[in-house]
Amino acid sequence: MNVGRRTLFKLAGAATAGSIIPGCKKEVDRLVPYLLPDDQIVPGVANWYASVCGECAAGCGILVRVMEGRAKKIEGNPDHPVNHGKLCAKGQASLQSLYNPDRLRHPFQREGPRGAGTFVPLKWEEGLQRLAQVLRDGRVPPMMVTRPVSGTLARLLSEFMDSMGGTLYFYAPDAELPLHAAWRESMGGDGAPVYDLAHADYLLSFGAPFLEHWLSPVAMGIAFGQMRQGRATVRGRYVHIEPRMSVTAANADQWLPIRPGSEGMLALGIGQLILDAHRSTAHGQEFERFHRFYGSVRLDEVEHVTGLSREVIVRLAQDFDAARAPVAIGGGSACSQTNGTLSLISINGLNALAHHLGRAPIAQGWCHDEARDDRSIPWLTEQMMFELAEKQDAGAGPVLLLYGCNPLFTMPRAVPIKTLFEQASFVVSFSSFLDETSEYADLLLPDRDALESWGDHVVENPAQTMGLSQPVVTPLYETQQIGDTILELSRRLNLGHGQSKTFYDLLRGRWKTVLADQPHTQTADWFEPEWIELLQQGGLWREPSQAAGPVNFAPSRAFEQARFVGEEPDYPFVLHPYASMALGHGEGANRPWLQELPDTLTTVVWGSWVEVNPRTAKDLGITHGDVVRVISPFGTLTASTVLFPGIHPDVVAMPLGQGHASYGRYAKNRGVNPAELLAPALDSMTGTLAAGATRVRIERTGEKRRLATLERPTMEPSDLIAIDRR
Amino acid sequence: MRSTSLARSSIGKAVFIVLAVGGGALVVGFLYASGSADSSEQDIQPVAFSHKLHAGQLEVSCLFCHRYATISRVASVPSMQLCMGCHQNLKEDTSETKKLRVYWEQETPIQWVRLQRLPDFVYFTHEMHLHHGMECIHCHGRVEDMPHTPRAATFEMGWCLSCHRREGGSLDCLTCHH
Repeated sequence: MNVGRRTLFKLAGAATAGSIIPGCKKEVDRLVPYLLPDDQIVPGVANWYASVCGECAAGCGILVRVMEGRAKKIEGNPDHPVNHGKLCAKGQASLQSLYNPDRLRHPFQREGPRGAGTFVPLKWEEGLQRLAQVLRDGRVPPMMVTRPVSGTLARLLSEFMDSMGGTLYFYAPDAELPLHAAWRESMGGDGAPVYDLAHADYLLSFGAPFLEHWLSPVAMGIAFGQMRQGRATVRGRYVHIEPRMSVTAANADQWLPIRPGSEGMLALGIGQLILDAHRSTAHGQEFERFHRFYGSVRLDEVEHVTGLSREVIVRLAQDFDAARAPVAIGGGSACSQTNGTLSLISINGLNALAHHLGRAPIAQGWCHDEARDDRSIPWLTEQMMFELAEKQDAGAGPVLLLYGCNPLFTMPRAVPIKTLFEQASFVVSFSSFLDETSEYADLLLPDRDALESWGDHVVENPAQTMGLSQPVVTPLYETQQIGDTILELSRRLNLGHGQSKTFYDLLRGRWKTVLADQPHTQTADWFEPEWIELLQQGGLWREPSQAAGPVNFAPSRAFEQARFVGEEPDYPFVLHPYASMALGHGEGANRPWLQELPDTLTTVVWGSWVEVNPRTAKDLGITHGDVVRVISPFGTLTASTVLFPGIHPDVVAMPLGQGHASYGRYAKNRGVNPAELLAPALDSMTGTLAAGATRVRIERTGEKRRLATLERPTMEPSDLIAIDRR
Repeated sequence: MRSTSLARSSIGKAVFIVLAVGGGALVVGFLYASGSADSSEQDIQPVAFSHKLHAGQLEVSCLFCHRYATISRVASVPSMQLCMGCHQNLKEDTSETKKLRVYWEQETPIQWVRLQRLPDFVYFTHEMHLHHGMECIHCHGRVEDMPHTPRAATFEMGWCLSCHRREGGSLDCLTCHH
């Protein structure tokens, strides 16, 4: 380009003028004083409040830094026995739930047809009156579906529904019901599974993503660190078995890619080999059940089904048997099959077997001293959805109350969840956000954020932790805590348990009874100072005690093979949908911090993708970034391909969490939801969704789309990473 | 002759370019600096408050109004209630105190124009400086003599360091920048 002298001057002049323009817009800083000073607030000095993280059921203790009445940062509570001062990304990002611009700020009622998502604002008084009226007029008992809650709120909701003659259900897509069902039959007792990883020296994980989002990931991450590096002479070994290399698998000494659904089969093989090795000693009545269960397969069958060689299986059995403190854990992919519970019985049975052979008890059932209110609350399974949909007639269904869950997004379309909503006579949601499910509501009575609420959280762990959460900021909007809404409804309906005026009173009352049993000073006002101390500490916990109950291996059924939906010639791959570490099953998708967190293994940021083994991709003629159609017998989605060597060649994986049609500006219209592809295959014993039991095929669209990745994929189809099967 | 005039005109052009670019840089630099340390703000407040009257004639202690200076990073501006604590009882009203009353009755805080501000990359705390025994006047000047309150010092790093050197304060970068 030929730039003349005059042009140069003109350009230089324009550039100078252009650079000055932003400087001319002078921003004037203002100092705005308080009208009335707040005794609790010193400007510039932070207050730290102890509370409980409300992002998952683990119940980690948090400390929230509050300055000038605004929550600014969340950290783990160092004194808390669950997380010892650590906190995961979800907990850190929970600030963005409080300040989310898409929060519901006051009650709403539906205007157009149900599900259209058009609402008009409403006063609290009108909303409560309307709901009370609907509940009074209901011909069939109401039904409430909530995320799993514990403590005072669980008791209140359960009592409220009992007095209405209705049913309260828990629903969470990551509930791992097969794990709990299997625990009863493989270890005996009603306790919650507690894995003392810190003291294990050999860990065999069958698909459990315990470093990502399984049970209590922060606590397990700390224990895993102890197991690997916390002891001077022992470094615990860790072998992970799963069709896909997850973040958890990437931390193992060895990852064994296995055929989907064959985890239980492998455990059977290992159990059989261990029993064989102890043939001379392992007999008698206590071993009879083990012999019957583990002896039901032939080893060559195990080899064939799992795709692992005999040497590998023998080696696993020998290592497990030789360890002083071995532990087998199962979950995640092992759980999400039609034989999920049976696989987990087979996996957890290895712990029972190790116990009988005199190894250190690493897996223990933990029973809380007190009877727990939330234990008896049934779970809403996908099987139950089919049963409910059959029973009811259109329009004559129950009043449906929804809290803290989004089943219309997380359940597959093939499950008749929508029917339940269409049949319901009235739908009310207590959700803080307008998501796929609350869009179907007739009335929205938004709950407060966890950082604005009172509450408690009971954790089933040896420290018998009862976390106490308190509001750390003044509520931002005209919202009302669900506990207060329920108490108010009880009063209006004269249900009799509305003695406590507010949920705060109810909470205090309950804690007073708990503390009355503990040693305390005998003054008249003993409770107040104790209460304040507990609030400052973040809850109540004790010295961890070992309370392993008797181990009783009693499987009620023989092992079954996993079944898949879709014929193999038409649908050659098994779809492996996995919960994203940041977005979970979709609940984290409206937090920008979590959205911009790259996936740890593929480094992809934003959107959805399909992970395909490079060898498979070569056969199909697809490369990195190619847009493909993923077709299951129940739906079709399109997404970009990511060549991922850490996956079994017969499996394709997709992360869950994206593909929202609602749920706010950060979540909406981003990526696809793999749940739409899933077949309504159920776990044979618990009736929960077997999310890993759908077969798919892949078709090229000819389109190519660039994925936002941190790392450039350098791998060419020629330099495949061979899978090491020792 | 021709070559000389050409040379002369080239020098003239070079000087012009240098002046134009340098001038531009000066203006941009000045505006940038004023943006980061905003010393350019004038003390024109919604209510014409006088430090000379309050701190000088009436001898109100600095810490009576800026009450968090000894315990916090910021000295803080007094709450409206603190202002009214005295002004409620005053019989005579001036045009400015009338404005104050209007704010109070309408329950609106006065939005004062901020005059002292350090950039975000500086960590400064009043508390520590006062604990060291420094007086307000060391940095803010004799406000009791000033009807308006300009900046008494540049509040730039060299100025901070000259005192830190003299008084034996920390010279570690991370003391103020972290």
